[in-house]
Amino acid sequence: MGIYPAGAMSRWSPETRERARSILARYPEKRSAVMPLLYLAAAEEGYLTDEGMAEVAEWVGLTPAQVQSVASFYTMYKREPTGRYLVSCCTSISCMLLGADEVLAAVEDEAGVPAGETDEDGVITVEHVECIGACGGAPAVQVNYELIEGVTPDTARELVRWLRSAAPDSVRADEMQELFGTRRSFDWAIAEHAGAVGPYPAFEPYGTTDGHP
Amino acid sequence: MSEVVTVTIDGRQVEVPAGELLIKAAQDRGTYIPRFCWHPRMKPVGMCRMCLVELETPRGPAIVTACTTPVSDGMVVHTRNETVQRVQEGVLEFLLINHPLDCPVCDRGGECPLQDHVMAYGPGESRFVEEKRHFEKPIPISDLVLLDRERCILCARCTRFSEEISGDPLIEFTDRGNGVHIATFPDLPFSSYFSGNTVQICPVGALTATAYRFRARPWDLTAVESTCLQCTAGDRISIQASQNEVLRILGVDVEPTNQGWLSDRCRFGFQYLGSPERLATPLLRDATGDHVEASWSEALAVAATRIGDVLQRSGGQAVAVLGGARLTNEDAYALSKFARVVLGTNHVDAQMDDGLDPQFLAATVDRARIGDLETAKAILVWGPDLKEEHPTLYLRVRRAAQELGAKLVVVHPRRTGLDDRATHKLTYRPGEGADLLTELVAGTGRAAEAREALAEGPVVGLVGRAGYGEDPRLAEAVAAFVRTLPDGKVLPLARRANVYGALDMGLAPTLLPGRVSVAGEGADAIAEAWGGLPDHPGLDARGILEAAAAGDIEVLILVGADPVRDVPDGDLARRALETVPFVVAIDQFLTDSSRVADVVFCADGFAEKEGTVTNLEGRVQKVNRIVPGPGQTRPDWSILDDLARRLGVELGLTSAEAIAKEIAEVAPAYRGVTWERLDWEARDGIVVPEEGHAPLRYVPADTPGARHGGDLVLHLARVMYDDGVLARHSPALAGLAPGGAVFLHPDDATRLGLGSAEQARVVTEHGEATLPLRMDDTLHRGVVYVPFNQPGVPPLGPGPGVTVTPA
Repeated sequence: MGIYPAGAMSRWSPETRERARSILARYPEKRSAVMPLLYLAAAEEGYLTDEGMAEVAEWVGLTPAQVQSVASFYTMYKREPTGRYLVSCCTSISCMLLGADEVLAAVEDEAGVPAGETDEDGVITVEHVECIGACGGAPAVQVNYELIEGVTPDTARELVRWLRSAAPDSVRADEMQELFGTRRSFDWAIAEHAGAVGPYPAFEPYGTTDGHP
Repeated sequence: MSEVVTVTIDGRQVEVPAGELLIKAAQDRGTYIPRFCWHPRMKPVGMCRMCLVELETPRGPAIVTACTTPVSDGMVVHTRNETVQRVQEGVLEFLLINHPLDCPVCDRGGECPLQDHVMAYGPGESRFVEEKRHFEKPIPISDLVLLDRERCILCARCTRFSEEISGDPLIEFTDRGNGVHIATFPDLPFSSYFSGNTVQICPVGALTATAYRFRARPWDLTAVESTCLQCTAGDRISIQASQNEVLRILGVDVEPTNQGWLSDRCRFGFQYLGSPERLATPLLRDATGDHVEASWSEALAVAATRIGDVLQRSGGQAVAVLGGARLTNEDAYALSKFARVVLGTNHVDAQMDDGLDPQFLAATVDRARIGDLETAKAILVWGPDLKEEHPTLYLRVRRAAQELGAKLVVVHPRRTGLDDRATHKLTYRPGEGADLLTELVAGTGRAAEAREALAEGPVVGLVGRAGYGEDPRLAEAVAAFVRTLPDGKVLPLARRANVYGALDMGLAPTLLPGRVSVAGEGADAIAEAWGGLPDHPGLDARGILEAAAAGDIEVLILVGADPVRDVPDGDLARRALETVPFVVAIDQFLTDSSRVADVVFCADGFAEKEGTVTNLEGRVQKVNRIVPGPGQTRPDWSILDDLARRLGVELGLTSAEAIAKEIAEVAPAYRGVTWERLDWEARDGIVVPEEGHAPLRYVPADTPGARHGGDLVLHLARVMYDDGVLARHSPALAGLAPGGAVFLHPDDATRLGLGSAEQARVVTEHGEATLPLRMDDTLHRGVVYVPFNQPGVPPLGPGPGVTVTPA
């Protein structure tokens, strides 16, 4: 009879629930936590399901429709299953001028699926994205939001083959940059040690990093 | 008084209140600025860009949205110069990129703000030749509302309404950019009690009502302003009809009551008027016990003969009248006069054993106004769940707590619709409210914080019975407490249509018209005007039914009353009706009660007659006629006048307006209230009593002491949609009743061995039923909640005793 769905029993693991509690504690207004909790929900089930959004709604005191409104606005909240590795090729202006279309075509060809789709084995999802803030190292590609700059069509093919053959448990920007990248925006950037364990941003509070020191 | 600033609008200097939004200031001074998203009752968002105007600023002309710009002194605004015209054309050209030109088949066509604005401000031609957006259409977003997404211009009126006003944001924008559209969550429909308002405020035909879609074109409708009788708030409405059929009801924005909003029960609950089941001729019971159609003269003759016999043999004490809450004041006055003068009985009651003491209500002359909620610092709601029973008040209280910053204390045995906005929420076991009240008065125990919230006035207390198990005297005690608070005022809550008007007309055993006690000051004057009054003590609804069941009532007259469905102890009502030898019903339908009547008179209904009604503040307003009743229906006063004449008494009732004049002369609290004034100078109503009426003295009963010692106590309360006869005959609402169920706190369920049961057996002193079991952790422990009068559920009686066992 209430406006929120019945069955307040959480579907989430104890670890995820603990993370949700600690994230909620950071905000004076519960509803402010909706976006971090959406990542938690995505990490819990691999992508954002209706049930996941409904659960977030209960945590933050919004209606599921309001949560859906937020989730559907942002492209990084995947509401369809994605492959184990999400390969995002930037096709905004800087990358495009430096050959991003060819890079994307190479990734699509090697993965065997067009942008927006996932291969049959559920290993690789290809997408093209708008600017990911790496114009200085264009063209740029992300795997599970870990950045590689200065990618060529050839190294892009190698990247896809490597993801398939090595099947790393986590991916790290610096490691992939070493293997498949060339020019970087900032050579003096601080080295990142933690990698991403799934197709969502690697962030300690979400539990989506591999926890390397 | 707020500061006034001078603004130049299109070359004309006007004075407007400082800080007011430009769009509103301009409109109030005669300059209409076109708009889609701005609504006077909601916060501005500046989304649709239709209200762009040009401001002269020190840095040159600037284009701004009038709906988000507050006026300031010396502001110079152009709303129709060449620049603004070009801007308006551009905005409309953009809006029509995707909006389909399906006006000829769109419900909104003919009264569509977009259509009108394109005509008035649009470019005439579009440069866009691209394919428009397409969606599956229409999609039902609830049982009552359909959504055509391609027509939506993304003004966010509906989403803002559901968040800001009704508090159930079940619709929201989804996706982004070119793909943005309004959506519900999968499997979670827009099941708001107020969803119809979004249809009314949609500036295009994106949201349409299932009850009205494709039923009429706006230019074929005739309309009349009236007052809604679905709840007791007296909402202002526009009833719209075509070819003698009411087709829709719209809310009218008036400040004192509904501020334009309506509940869906009010908006869609009119369809019973055109039901084929409506009674169109009088009925008589034939030798085999079946109802057969009869002429008026036959039916009146039978009724008059039988009533006359009883009056002669046993006197007025053997005759009782139940009902009248659905009547206008004029009809109620006629019924009151008929009962007292013709029948000689005080056994009269418009409440169905579900209200408050009529003398308490009549004596509460220092009532709060609904409008007092706007300025209240603190509000106490101790009574029914306003969202279920008093939806318009619910919106006003929600607004006060959510938008105006009032502190809100809610006391109810379980969750209510206001809990998410309550500063403090207290639950209790029905029957133990007095203990909690003692704590609240003293500011101790678990009520300590709530008491503090009520420390700053003005305080408005909305008091009533939380459920049928509740002693009505508790509400009187709560009201007495509210009066001790700083600037504390009370709004007593009774249920059913024009019940306040009916009581004010004397449809209560202890009251005479105009809030006069049968034994008190003013009774003599009414006795003189009427030529005598009965002197025996009157019985209330429960007393009447008990006397009837015991064989002491020989004639029972039901006027728009369905005691079998409406009295908490439906079983008692059934036995009473079976026992009474002669039952007369004046009704619009054969109800579970009037089905056993010996004579049934068919009466005009809402929208079929003119008159006045009184809301819970005491506000008297007009109801108006727009369609004729079906077949041979007549107004109630005319039926009663005819029946009186056949019983040898001339009541002298000639028309509703003439009765209104008689009320204004005879009923003290209604002195000077005329149709003339209500139709012209006082269209928002007159709150009675006006000056000069000496209020009835009423000493509240002692706080109830009786307490139920049992393990579990029944909480029987109404929800918005039930199996009442009018809802049952309104197709739009008939399917919305949630159905029977029994709600238990999970701890109680576990204790009773019902932890995982799907169903449970509920047994009370008055009835039993097997009902689906629902867990409700908002219930006070030891309380068993059952929604009242749901389809297929037998009456369980008011409680308090109840047992719940595995089915």
